[in-house]
Formats: sequence, structure tokens, C-alpha cells
Amino acid sequence: MTHPVSAAADALCDLFGETNISSRITTGQGNEIYFSAGEPEFEAAIPYLSAHKFVLISLFCAEGFARSGYTLFYVFERKGSILVLLRNITSQAASIARIFPTAAWFERECRDGFGVEFDGAFDNRRLFLHESYPDHLHPLKKSVCNLPVTMKKEIDITDEYPFRRVEGEGVYQVPVGPVHAGIIEPGHFRFSVIGETIFNLEIRLFYTHRGIEKLSEGKLPRDCVKIAEAVSGDESVANAAGFCMAVERFSGIVVPDRAWHLRTILLELERCCSHLGDQAGMLTDIAFPLGASQFSVLREELFRRNEVLTGSRFMRGMLCIGGTSRDVDTAQLTELAGFLKEFRKRYKIGLKIVLSTPSVIDRFERTGIIKKPLLRPLNITGPAARASGGRVDVRINHPYGLYNRFVPALIPLKDGDVLSRFTIKAAEIMNSLELIGQVIDQITEGSIKSDSPVSDGYSLALVESARGQNLCWVRVKAGVIERYKVRTASFCNWLAIEHAIAGNILADFPVINKSLNLSYAGTDL
Amino acid sequence: MLRKKVTEDSPARDEEIERIGRELRHAIDSRFSRSLSIRELDTGSDNAVEIEINNLLNAFYDVERFGITFVASPRHADLLMVTGAVTRNMENAARKTYDAMPSPKYVIAVGDDACDGGIYKGTYAVLGGADKLFPVDLKIPGNPPTPTQILAGLLALMKNASGTS
Repeated sequence: MTHPVSAAADALCDLFGETNISSRITTGQGNEIYFSAGEPEFEAAIPYLSAHKFVLISLFCAEGFARSGYTLFYVFERKGSILVLLRNITSQAASIARIFPTAAWFERECRDGFGVEFDGAFDNRRLFLHESYPDHLHPLKKSVCNLPVTMKKEIDITDEYPFRRVEGEGVYQVPVGPVHAGIIEPGHFRFSVIGETIFNLEIRLFYTHRGIEKLSEGKLPRDCVKIAEAVSGDESVANAAGFCMAVERFSGIVVPDRAWHLRTILLELERCCSHLGDQAGMLTDIAFPLGASQFSVLREELFRRNEVLTGSRFMRGMLCIGGTSRDVDTAQLTELAGFLKEFRKRYKIGLKIVLSTPSVIDRFERTGIIKKPLLRPLNITGPAARASGGRVDVRINHPYGLYNRFVPALIPLKDGDVLSRFTIKAAEIMNSLELIGQVIDQITEGSIKSDSPVSDGYSLALVESARGQNLCWVRVKAGVIERYKVRTASFCNWLAIEHAIAGNILADFPVINKSLNLSYAGTDL
Repeated sequence: MLRKKVTEDSPARDEEIERIGRELRHAIDSRFSRSLSIRELDTGSDNAVEIEINNLLNAFYDVERFGITFVASPRHADLLMVTGAVTRNMENAARKTYDAMPSPKYVIAVGDDACDGGIYKGTYAVLGGADKLFPVDLKIPGNPPTPTQILAGLLALMKNASGTS
């Protein structure tokens, strides 16, 4: 049996010998390699994978995947290949958070959802179930019905969420949220400050936890697309695409060429809307409305275009399993191409105003630096990583749809500050506009949807959303969703802010936060 | 000093918005002494509604010219604009926000999930729509509603408010 040459397969050969593993490897439809590891093998693999620069991009749990108990899926990525180590457990497993820091939140998530205990974990606090949830509720267990639960009436002081204690002369705390001052999602930030300088930040999220994963279970795959769209409003297309791709892969559904052209246009339009919003927001946060309005006007125009093209300003309801739910006529696409040409010129004018204003540069430069060595341990992806020298982009590392044909530019910046993130987003908008132009040029008439049925199975799909790498894993059993795991880029990128903020002043927090543009809804699920 | 003012053309003049805006301005002038202060509260939204509410402030809508201000504290607010189904994790914070507002106060639910819990209705993670927590004066459905629909909803409430008390 031959295997595709990949870092993942090489690692397994190196670890356990080719003869030992060749019959035990399964290759998924998303080109991910599944390997069910015994406990000693798992223990040997973890330090090896860490030493060989594998990134833990997800860890999730599923019940009923093996004959009994729970299965933990450790998803590693390296050089465009994906290795999924399967670990079958009853209800306990050793923690790997000391070796792979991203595992800390993943393990806490599995613990809340399934009651899996991780031995040796340094953080055993609850994650998405806050204090008022009853003690032994683990909603993702198959035995738990998705019905309203009786919450605790009184919260004992010992049940209160313990924040990290930061002490010392002159250190004081500034608690912010969950309800923030602006029109923004809820989350809590606990700053420890000395004078004006932030010494430590601890974030606490999951206030918008609305049970997305449980909600999808037992539903028909086609009815689940709108749940994927509800993961995060401004990533509606990206998450719908991830979900559809996963289902299409294990069902062997071939999406028609025209549908993929349309999907690519929508994905790139969504990226532009998101980046424009960030840029406007960053300028608002440093009190430069002249610049901000340049971008918010352009963004509103895009939203209106979206509505004309798809019937929804967020392009919702457009993607479906097998293609797109409706066509866009060629005249409209030609008009879009013309509009985007003008758009590009006006965008450049806005950019020039902003980047030639010294007070803007002064606030952006050397603010909120994310250092490159953080990228791999925390799996920071998207513009946040590319602004810090990271060469990561799912469209390039794991091309899907048409991204083999329409290759985005990857030109990372090095400084990792707010200015770099602003600049990289500008470059990405220009690049997306160009890609859309190319796609419209080459689109051909044809069907927009495959009618092949959905079959049972499971697969992984990665999508580059505006914020970075979104992962989704779907398993369909007996025609309905058995498990839908989604991990947006924000889930991992959120931890970057705790590092980016240290040493900055409190007044710079909003602009640093906006420059990372993290989704609360996409993290809290 | 006598030179032409340095300004850019307004991006677009949307007659529908101008009409709603004029009526809204009139209602706010008479009922709320010229300014309506709104506190936005996300109790579990997917952030699409937040984006649309933020868009009300862009140059196309620019609702501040109609007397609408979004305020940072519930203590300064006349009206609470609730988005998203009320999650169990936000229940307490949402209640505190409402309680912090001075009376008389209005509440509007914006978006399908805030109206009745939407797709999350009856599940473990949510309590339901905003009306499970406090009296809701107006519901604006939509996934998400457009800025124009939100503005039209506000106008409906203002007209009603001017009429009844």
C-alpha cells in the first residue's frame, strides 16, 4: 500500500515503522490521515510531533465513533498535510496542554461537553458552561437531550470563576464586560494594570454560547447549512462553505464548476466586507473618522451589492450542499466586475488618506505586537499570523474549490503590530478584488448544483475565512448529523490578544482588539 | 472664508431612509426632547445584527442626524436594543443591564433570535427571546433585519410611544 508523500505520513513511518502502520492508516476525503493510536504510541507521538513542528489545530471529542466510550480527535497540521490521531477513551485521558498550549482550551471544551477529565491539566476551569449551569451537565453527551435545563438559583462563592491572580505593588484590576460600551458582542476582560500600562490580561468568553453543535445533531444535513451560517454572522459564507465541503467530500458529490466560481466570488466578497469593517473600526478607535468613513461607505456599498447578487446582505441562503441554491446571471456578474474596478480606485484613495496621516501611523506602529514564535504554539492564523511573518493561508496550504487555479498572493509582513495588520488587510482586499475579477472573467455557463445524494460518512474541511483557518468536521450517520464540530480561527486567535496587549496602555486596547477582529459568536458557539 | 465648503458628495440619497428619518426626527423631538439614547445589548447574537446596527452610523444612514445616539452605559439609555436569543450565560448580565436603565424605558428585540429564540428556541443553552427576561415593546424580525428595517421599526415604536402617553 502506498501513501501520498506528506509530512503526516512521514511522521508516522518515522515513529512506528512503515510495516507497523501501513494497514492502520485511513486517508479521509479531505486528504487528512487518520491513525488510531494506542496509549503508548500516543505518548510517544506527542513529543515527536511537537519537536517536528506540527501544530495542534483542533482537538475535539465524539461519542459513539468507536464501539464504546469517547473518541478524541487530535488534529495536527504540518506543511499542507493533516494528521488526525484518534484516541479511544472511557472518560479520562492525559492532558497534552503542557506540550501543545492550544490544547488548554480544547481540553476544557471537551470536558464541558462530554465530561472527559484530562489528567495533569493545569487549567480545569469550566469553559463554555458558566457558573449557573448545573454541576454534572455535559450537554454534548448523546444521553443528554437538548432541552431547557434548570439552572442554579444561587451561585456559591466557591463556584465563582477564579481569575489568575496578579499581585504586586501598584497592580490594580480593571474588569471590563461582558456588556461592553460599544455596539459589540459580549465578553469579559480582566486587566491587571500598573499605572496606565497593562501588565496582564485574562479573557473570559462564551457568553454567547448557544449550543450550535448540539443543535445540529439529528438534523438533516441540508437543514444544517443555516446553522453553519449562524456560527458567526460575518463568516456566514465561509462556515457554510466548510460545512458543505465536508459533506460533499464524504458523499462523493462533485460540485459543478459554475457553482464553485460563484462560491469563490462570495467567499472573497465576504473577506472584503470583513476587512473593510476592521479597517473602519481601527480608525474609529483612534478617533480618525475621516479615514473610517472612507471604508465604512465602501463596505455599505458592498453589502448592497451582496443583496442584489444573492438576496441577502450577508449572502445567507446562497450556499447549499452540492453547489449554490441559485444562479447569478452573467449580466450582473459583468456589472459587478465593472463596479469592483471603480471600487478599487476609490479604496486606494481612502488608503492613501489614512497611510499619509502621521497621527494614524503613530498610533498603529509598534502597538499590540504579536511575535512570530507565538504563531505555532497557539495556532494563530489569518491576517493576524501573516502580519507577524506567518506563511499560513488555507487557500494556499490546503487549496479547495478553485484556489488551485486562482492562487492568492501570500506576502507576509514581519512587524506583527497593528500597522502590519492594517496593511496586510489592505493588501488582501486588493488581492481579493483581483481574484473576483479573474473568476468573473473565466466563469462559464452550466449547472449550479449537483443532485447527488448525501451519504453517511465523515470528513474534515478547512476554509480560509476572513479571520483565518476555520475547521469543521462533520459526521453523518443514518442520514442525519451525528456530530458537527466547528472551530473558527477566532477560537485560537483569541489567546493571541493576551500576549499582544502586555506592555501596552489600556487606551490602546480597543484598537488592538479591533485589529485582530475576533469573533465572539464564532468562538462561543 | 467665502470659499466653497470642502466636503464630499453624499454617497447616495436614499429617499426611503430620508422619509423615515424625517418622521423619526419629528417623533423624537416631541416625545424625547430631541434625543433618543439607545443602549445595544447582545444577549447571544451571531454578530450579524450588531454589524447592521453599526451600519446605521455609516454615511448612508447617519442616524445621529435624526436625534439617535448609541450610548455606552445603560444608565444613560431610554431604549434597550436587544439582539440574539438570551443565552443562559448572558441571563444575569442582561437582567442587570435592564435594571440599570432609568424608567420609563423601552425595549426592542432586533432579529429573529431576539424575537422568540429563533433557531435556538427550546434548547439547553438559551432561555428564549428577549421577552423571557423583560417586557418587549417591539420586535423587528429578520436574519438579520436591514438597517432600513431597523429604522422603520424604531419609527413605529416612536409613533406609538407619542400616541399613548
